[in-house]
Amino acid sequence: MPTLHAPEERLRKFKYRGKDVSMRRQRRIAVSLELRKAKKDEQALKRRNIANFSTDPASEQPTKGVSLTLQEIINGVNTSDPDLCFQATQAARKMLSQEKNPPLKLIVEAGLIPRLVEFLKLSPHPCLQFEAAWALTNIASGTSEQTQAVVEGGAIQPLVELLSSPHMTVCEQAVWALGNIAGDGSEFRDIVISSNAIPHLLALVSSTIPITFLRNITWTLSNLCRNKNPYPCKTAVKQMLPVLSHLLQHQDSEVLSDTCWALSYLTDGCNERIGQVVNTGVLPRLVQLMSSSELNVLTPSLRTIGNIVTGTDYQTQMAIDAGMLNVLPQLLMHPKSSIQKEAAWALSNVAAGPCQHIQRLIACGMLPPLVALLKNGEFKVQKEAVWTVANFTTGGTIDQLIHLVHSGVLEPLVNLLTIQDTKIVIIILDVISFILQAAEKLSEKENLCLLIEEIGGIDKIEALQLHENPQVALTALNIIENHFCEGEESGAILPALDQDNEFLNRLTKKHQGPTTSKQRTKP
Amino acid sequence: MIYCGSMAMELSDANLQTLTEYLKKTLDPDPAIRRPAEKFLESVEGNQNYPLLLLTLLEKSQDNVIKVCASVTFKNYIKRNWRIVEDEPNKICEADRVAIKANIVHLMLSSPEQIQKQLSDAISIIGREDFPQKWPDLLTEMVNRFQSGDFHVINGVLRTAHSLFKRYRHEFKSNELWTEIKLVLDAFALPLTNLFKATIELCSTHANDASALRILFSSLILISKLFYSLNFQDLPEFFEDNMETWMNNFHTLLTLDNKLLQTDDEEEAGLLELLKSQICDNAALYAQKYDEEFQLYLPRFVTAIWNLLVTTGQEVKYDLLVSNAIQFLASVCERPHYKNLFEDQNTLTSICEKVIVPNMEFRAADEEAFEDNSEEYIRRDLEGSDIDTRRRAACDLVRGLCKFFEGPVTGIFSGYVNSMLQEYAKNPSVNWKHKDAAIYLVTSLASKAQTQKHGITQANELVNLTEFFVNHILPDLKSANVNEFPVLKADGIKYIMIFRNQVPKEHLLVSIPLLINHLQAESIVVHTYAAHALERLFTMRGPNNATLFTAAEIAPFVEILLTNLFKALTLPGSSENEYIMKAIMRSFSLLQEAIIPYIPTLISQLTQKLLAVSKNPSKPHFNHYMFEAICLSIRITCKANPAAVVNFEEALFLVFTEILQNDVQEFIPYVFQVMSLLLETHKNDIPSSYMALFPHLLQPVLWERTGNIPALVRLLQAFLERGSNTIASAAADKIPGLLGVFQKLIASKANDHQGFYLLNSIIEHMPPESVDQYRKQIFILLFQRLQNSKTTKFIKSFLVFINLYCIKYGALALQEIFDGIQPKMFGMVLEKIIIPEIQKVSGNVEKKICAVGITKLLTECPPMMDTEYTKLWTPLLQSLIGLFELPEDDTIPDEEHFIDIEDTPGYQTAFSQLAFAGKKEHDPVGQMVNNPKIHLAQSLHKLSTACPGRVPSMVSTSLNAEALQYLQGYLQAASVTLL
Repeated sequence: MPTLHAPEERLRKFKYRGKDVSMRRQRRIAVSLELRKAKKDEQALKRRNIANFSTDPASEQPTKGVSLTLQEIINGVNTSDPDLCFQATQAARKMLSQEKNPPLKLIVEAGLIPRLVEFLKLSPHPCLQFEAAWALTNIASGTSEQTQAVVEGGAIQPLVELLSSPHMTVCEQAVWALGNIAGDGSEFRDIVISSNAIPHLLALVSSTIPITFLRNITWTLSNLCRNKNPYPCKTAVKQMLPVLSHLLQHQDSEVLSDTCWALSYLTDGCNERIGQVVNTGVLPRLVQLMSSSELNVLTPSLRTIGNIVTGTDYQTQMAIDAGMLNVLPQLLMHPKSSIQKEAAWALSNVAAGPCQHIQRLIACGMLPPLVALLKNGEFKVQKEAVWTVANFTTGGTIDQLIHLVHSGVLEPLVNLLTIQDTKIVIIILDVISFILQAAEKLSEKENLCLLIEEIGGIDKIEALQLHENPQVALTALNIIENHFCEGEESGAILPALDQDNEFLNRLTKKHQGPTTSKQRTKP
Repeated sequence: MIYCGSMAMELSDANLQTLTEYLKKTLDPDPAIRRPAEKFLESVEGNQNYPLLLLTLLEKSQDNVIKVCASVTFKNYIKRNWRIVEDEPNKICEADRVAIKANIVHLMLSSPEQIQKQLSDAISIIGREDFPQKWPDLLTEMVNRFQSGDFHVINGVLRTAHSLFKRYRHEFKSNELWTEIKLVLDAFALPLTNLFKATIELCSTHANDASALRILFSSLILISKLFYSLNFQDLPEFFEDNMETWMNNFHTLLTLDNKLLQTDDEEEAGLLELLKSQICDNAALYAQKYDEEFQLYLPRFVTAIWNLLVTTGQEVKYDLLVSNAIQFLASVCERPHYKNLFEDQNTLTSICEKVIVPNMEFRAADEEAFEDNSEEYIRRDLEGSDIDTRRRAACDLVRGLCKFFEGPVTGIFSGYVNSMLQEYAKNPSVNWKHKDAAIYLVTSLASKAQTQKHGITQANELVNLTEFFVNHILPDLKSANVNEFPVLKADGIKYIMIFRNQVPKEHLLVSIPLLINHLQAESIVVHTYAAHALERLFTMRGPNNATLFTAAEIAPFVEILLTNLFKALTLPGSSENEYIMKAIMRSFSLLQEAIIPYIPTLISQLTQKLLAVSKNPSKPHFNHYMFEAICLSIRITCKANPAAVVNFEEALFLVFTEILQNDVQEFIPYVFQVMSLLLETHKNDIPSSYMALFPHLLQPVLWERTGNIPALVRLLQAFLERGSNTIASAAADKIPGLLGVFQKLIASKANDHQGFYLLNSIIEHMPPESVDQYRKQIFILLFQRLQNSKTTKFIKSFLVFINLYCIKYGALALQEIFDGIQPKMFGMVLEKIIIPEIQKVSGNVEKKICAVGITKLLTECPPMMDTEYTKLWTPLLQSLIGLFELPEDDTIPDEEHFIDIEDTPGYQTAFSQLAFAGKKEHDPVGQMVNNPKIHLAQSLHKLSTACPGRVPSMVSTSLNAEALQYLQGYLQAASVTLL
């Protein structure tokens, strides 16, 4: 005998156009192509050092009055006199540090890089090492070709060696330069990793260093976690995770921000990678940081949690247990629409889980803000909210579905049928069709049809029958034909009759489930 | 490998000459000349160079007709052959493909417009297949032409680009699509932007040159359309960076007017209107999807669009522009963060006064439709197919504004309504349109939600609907002359109709005789609305789900109601008016016995109508309601006096015979249903008149039409129920024919359930000896179908059938017939079908049949107790308890998800089931078993007394705990124990 929980089980078997839960979840990974401008609130890939930041004696060399032409610089670096080399390098560094239009291209074309790399190795001259590292940092902050020039100049190995320099400023500048190189993409990142930079970086974290230095290290670590195709190797990740988990306890918001970004990159992948992060026990702290008042902490911590709930049901369960659903409602109502969008995205993936997760989602009061977003959110937010509803609908139990309809989700959903986005339109049509089928089983279809008509749904669905996209047109047609054609007649005529036709007619009719005493919702 | 259909045709003058001759012949009106020429061209189109010959002709032929003909032939050739279908030969050889792609853009651009259009179409067909991968030069080639400065060429490029890119507006996001868009953006966005700027500059340099302006504006329209396509999927980086350029220019264009571009035509939209309309769409797209980035520009667009509305006239040519523009405002004013743009009292007032009120006016075009095209008018006005009209847009704007400003907007409009009503009062015959607008305004202001079934379901509480009804609607309807101011009468009736749930019942009651009176109005709209309003009022529900109006309340008007309804069918233009026929049906249904005195007249009028429309059935709804009305007459009359059925047969059979003889396909299913109803009304044996028909019902040709099947099965069931003995004695030779029908139905996935209906009736009603010789064959047929194509629906029907058989013939008979087909078959059926699938059976009666049947198998079938089948005894009991206690299993296997919609029952395009011809639910085990659970307990008890000790041990050893608990409950309820 099958168990008594059978109906839920059956509902779960309903196909969302042939997609199962895991497919619904991995949307972000699937289409990575963007037409849009890169997002403004993402973390910087590369940074130029434009201000002197240190009071280390090594940098307090006479610097005033040195302003050389490019040719003089070229000549200077090519002498064997360390002082001249220093002056020329410093002049070059200054040019590269000017706020507007630094002549990166000129310096690269002038062929200075090989010499600058040579200078990195001159440990008797820390000041020169420092200036060279700085100059290289700024060159590496440029275009991919410019970063490539630095790498091809052989800078990585000497920079890694500088990580053990006794002079903190030199060391710090090397960290920065390596960060820029690693930030260019997977290829250079992996060269930095295979040059054994990670153990040195980690060693620096454990020592007592100024906060600005720690920030730099954290940022460089985040770049070592960044980028896919391929991801950083698992050994490297395993090396970095304990330190990242430690840094996550820090109080400084920049350190926290970059640590969270690092974790967000590590979780932006397959379930195994997510598991690596989740197992370090960072979830409670991440959830805590989602309430941060600092946008630069909130954004990446939310992104990380969002990534984690694309994982397995178990991983999602861990995030829920850590309390993510308690924080989400306030994020759904955040004044910034980009936060609303990320929160709704995370929610959509929780809704893609088993009905127990959906139950938690309801219990945490997620539906009212969700409906509010569907109504008044910006389109990019509405889009995520629609996905949430779609996942909820296909994965929820009948009772949860009733709850959803009662929360007033249909009216904003129907209004969105006029949106200029074919995918969203078809999803909404599917949701409506699914809810109608569920209502049919509860003998509530007539009321639901009336509700949909009241909120202007029939007009909109009818109009979609003429949509240019054949799939949209067909789905709309099917909804009208199956649910709204002469639908009112059966209700209006039949009461004068005995309820049904001959007994065998009922053979093929849908099961009339236990009728709930549900009231029709007024929007 | 390159595949070529056959040999190459030389690009020679001789071939060109031949081709010209054949092309000429394809234009010949005489099919004897035309057809062979077409055939010939088809036969050579697989040859290499054929398309190039066509291109040469369309470029170089001396004869213009041949040029155009060649271009059309070329386009059709491309349409048929360009796509390479997997597993099919490539129909155009590679060299031709390359040559076509290399030349077509140039050719298109240098051709006159007529040919350009054909080639442009051909390019987009090719582009759909080859662009971008297999046609990498296309974009650059097009973009280079922008430099030409020749706007004839530029417009050709733009048109082609539009036909290539417009699919971005409706295709689903995919990596492939977005890669293409990215490529297009990289190559096209900047040149398009530069062209846009240059074109606008040229517009000001040529501000006084009408013909130049017309060309430039055509370009601007196309550019704006391209903008829409390129920005549809997402906001591209390029357009975000260049938003200022585009939006500032769009804004300027919206506010631009140039006398030279104004057209005299009142109907057809001019260039200026088309451009502005597209710009409204572009702005709406940005406002809807890219709000964050567009926010800065939006207020200016709101102002510009609103000014545009204020200055645009009432002519039809502006309709699309105006409705687009209003829809833009409607979508913006609902957004919380733009509320401030509208909240100023002066702004609101001026929107109401200058945008909404003028667009609600009843225009000359509306008046024309009202009088000359009433059907269309009714459809738009009543059924809401007015999506693109100005009135509808204005109405949407009112609703949008009411979201935040209900109070102020209601206040402003109240003033307008009053002044319009005053205008009307001053001189009704001149100013009646003011009242029309006032009623429309009140309606759109008051209605917040509406359904066909209930009318308005949520109303604006600030509008006093009853007061308006009493003061302004009733007086019009009370006026003695039903033909005066027909538009206002229609407005008034519609008001009653849609606000029927807001206006108190006593007022509605007052309006009923007025509505009945208006059934006589000459205007089609007015008497149609009156009929529709009555029909809607009669369906309203009061407390306890009874109709709001009782038959007693309507009784005083019965005679005049029925008279006027049937008289209305004689008014010009309304002889097959579905609203009137529906009102007739509804009146019968409400009035019930009260119509009996009038039945003789009514039925004779209905049969006359039936006879008349059966000559040429054209209004399906009208016909359907007519048959419903006939059924109602029969039911109502025969309920009180069953003997009266004979009178109906007398009145109807003549017409029915004619319908059957003339094979009026639309009506035959209806006729069978009415006949079923009549036959079932007979209490005694089947009349001979019906028996004469019986052999004809088995004719295969009738069963060919799927629309007939449900009605025919229903009728045959009625025959079996009433006349099984007569059939067995007097028509035994027809039994094979009957089974032949069953065999045919069972073979079809769509109709197998109908086959089972028939089979079940045969088993239930026919004397066993009359079907004895066929029984085995029936089972074999069912098994064949199970083996060949098993569906859930079939299994459900099969389960009900075998259990019914078990009840009727006994459990042992069932076991024997299975094992008689093949040894041990019975065990297989139990194990593979009954036990695993029984949970899928749906319907209370069906479940009961199965429960009783399985109980019999468990308790009245000796082989179940002492053969190898015994091991299935407990699993069978467990599945029976599951049938009682578990939710129904309504899962459908994956492979059945996509069975065509036509294959599923309940959806029969050609079959129209008559609700009033339905019959009572029939329970074949009704008297025998009342409570199947108790029945199971009692039967088990009886079994256990026959073989003490065995039943408890079988039950306790392998029934699961949950099921056992349920079983003990049944035993307790039945007060029996197992021995």
